Amino acid sequence: MIFLIQQTLLYAVPLMIVALAGCFAERSGIINLALEGIMIFGAFIGVLFIRTMQTNETYLAAKAAGDWMTLQGLELLAMLAAAVMGAIFSLLLSFASINLRADQTIGGTALNLLAPALVLFFIRIIANQNTLQMATGDSASWFMLKKSTFGVDKSVEWGFFKELLLNKAYLATYVCILLFIILSIILYKTRFGLRLRSCGENPQAADSLGINVYKMRYAGTTISGALAGMGGFVYALTTANCSSNGDVAGFGFLALAVMIFGNWKPLNIAFASLLFGLFKCIASAYTSLDINGDGIYALAQLGISSHLYRMLPYIITLLVLAFTSKRSRAPKAEGIPYEKGQR
Amino acid sequence: MKRFLALILALCMVFALCACGSNDDKKPADDDNKDNEPTAITNPDEISDEMTSADGKYEIAFVTDVGQLKDKSFNQGTYDGVKLYAANNDKSYKYYQPANGDKATDDDRYDAMKAAVDNGAKVVVCAGFLQENALRKAALEFTDVSFVFIDGYPVAEEAGVDGSPIIPNIAGISFQEEQSGYLAGYAAVMEGYTKLGFCGGGGGDNPACCRFGYGFVQGVDAAAAEKGVKAEVNYSWMYGGSFSASPELQTMAAGWYSNGTEVIFACGGSMFASVSAAASAADAKVIGVDTDQSFESDTVITSATKGLASSVQWALAKFYDGSFSDLGGNGTALGAKDDAVGLPTATWSLSNWSVDDYNALLKDIKDGKVSIDADWNNLKSTYNVTVNVIE
Repeated sequence: MIFLIQQTLLYAVPLMIVALAGCFAERSGIINLALEGIMIFGAFIGVLFIRTMQTNETYLAAKAAGDWMTLQGLELLAMLAAAVMGAIFSLLLSFASINLRADQTIGGTALNLLAPALVLFFIRIIANQNTLQMATGDSASWFMLKKSTFGVDKSVEWGFFKELLLNKAYLATYVCILLFIILSIILYKTRFGLRLRSCGENPQAADSLGINVYKMRYAGTTISGALAGMGGFVYALTTANCSSNGDVAGFGFLALAVMIFGNWKPLNIAFASLLFGLFKCIASAYTSLDINGDGIYALAQLGISSHLYRMLPYIITLLVLAFTSKRSRAPKAEGIPYEKGQR
Repeated sequence: MKRFLALILALCMVFALCACGSNDDKKPADDDNKDNEPTAITNPDEISDEMTSADGKYEIAFVTDVGQLKDKSFNQGTYDGVKLYAANNDKSYKYYQPANGDKATDDDRYDAMKAAVDNGAKVVVCAGFLQENALRKAALEFTDVSFVFIDGYPVAEEAGVDGSPIIPNIAGISFQEEQSGYLAGYAAVMEGYTKLGFCGGGGGDNPACCRFGYGFVQGVDAAAAEKGVKAEVNYSWMYGGSFSASPELQTMAAGWYSNGTEVIFACGGSMFASVSAAASAADAKVIGVDTDQSFESDTVITSATKGLASSVQWALAKFYDGSFSDLGGNGTALGAKDDAVGLPTATWSLSNWSVDDYNALLKDIKDGKVSIDADWNNLKSTYNVTVNVIE
């Protein structure tokens, strides 16, 4: 049970934060199709940051001494680096779609095509291979919170919640959940959030009330870029052993689907990504899932082909979208470049 | 305009940051099981992957298998042999990766071989049994070039036709991986582990991986019988089709570990990264494959190796002293008797099983006292070992 919840969170959290990234951009009126590209870029920057910092004496000493606080600091710094570079990368999209009034779908697609090529190009230069990995060790031994991190023996039993939250978990997961909550509140309960949303619904009206639509759209897309970049790195850290290979397995596009599925609302997005994460986890680990702890792996004994399990997350997404898309309501002005004089 | 300048500036920063990335990819030398010749350079990592020859010709070519060149396993180990031989004998060398990565077709592989010949290759080392069809085409076309087929076998002029003549300029070199896997499985159980796993690459079609896996199970069985314990092996080809690391593979391995699996034999190139990450999270153990992988992670207890680098050097030496005809058109199976398979005892982290015990077992295998079956279709559970095939 603990295993299932933890693995579900590992898949769901990057998806959740990137879907919120999409939400921020679209609520301000910009369709951010480039989520996938920004994720790839963010993952690359974060991994590169960690790889570079690993050669630093401070961190090597911290690792050797088991000083996990310093290592968690490094993890947070790498998340920050990925977020900053993701934001900068997304400026390309903002510039094209806000200043040049280019078609946002095409701009986003261009970034999606650019990112993997650019990232692979650099990885080839830096590492002379197709995958950029950590300089030494693996993500679990450096950054994972587990019993041995706290100097507790593996055989010691913790309570359910302590086991769930502090054994085999990443701090990044909790930071993302916290950010998700804070940003959702900002989007709905602050003046800034209201203004941002108004620019996605009726920019002309917003402008007539003295809101700078361009600024708001820049803000929305930049926040979106930062979140997507960070989400990309968190994905690489927690599920891909802190490596970058110009690919995030389509999580950016899935995040778009989750965002639409969640009807551009944070709470629904959180629910949708948890659902997807759960099925993704079941697909990979169904043979070793023992839900009620009776030693019987029920899912494995059903005799259903593993291919079906692997299809499940996507089939569920399709099904749910088919049934919910009727009610889905996109921000009204998304995708339409804003021109001041136009009515 | 100001914004545009800012954007350019931002892009410059991106490039500058990336340029700062260090270029060191050093790791300790992994000596294969043996070094045939007393060579001047023994550390393949000291030799550049890319060399520039004066006349633009490259005599020794290497065509990679699926997966990346620097997979710290099969491709890299084979290429290390090419580099070592070339560097110590002043030959020019170059590697070719077939286009389209994991989805390379026979045509992509043939194109890589043709490019090698066009660049002046006299001998082409091809890694992986998937190269058969491309090799057939290339070897028939370029009859004055010699081909070394690693993990391979003699290739007939026409596939699937009985009595079709064997192509003489292809030397098939294979390994008795079942012996290496047997040793690894035996060692793991002797060390005290009883819940084991096997994650194989190639989706169950790769003969080398199948032999590794079946040998592993036989080793577990033999050791469990000797110790009088019951062992359990999770046996899976899932998520290994492209020999690459993936989140799904990591989740699957994490699931095994969370259910009590103690050691997983990660049998397939870059798949190691996913399995070792899961092992590290669970404070569990991994067995490496092909080359000594103990330098990559603290979780590695030992590696089931085969002497890729040494056998490539051996074959290249045969080519250059004019005795390639001994190998050409034949299949050479290298095993324990040739010191081509085994466990790297210097770097293993086993404490309950000694090097002397290992050497005794290895000697029994060499002498034929222990017979190990290579036909993986016989894989089944026995009294001492339960095999859970997961597919």
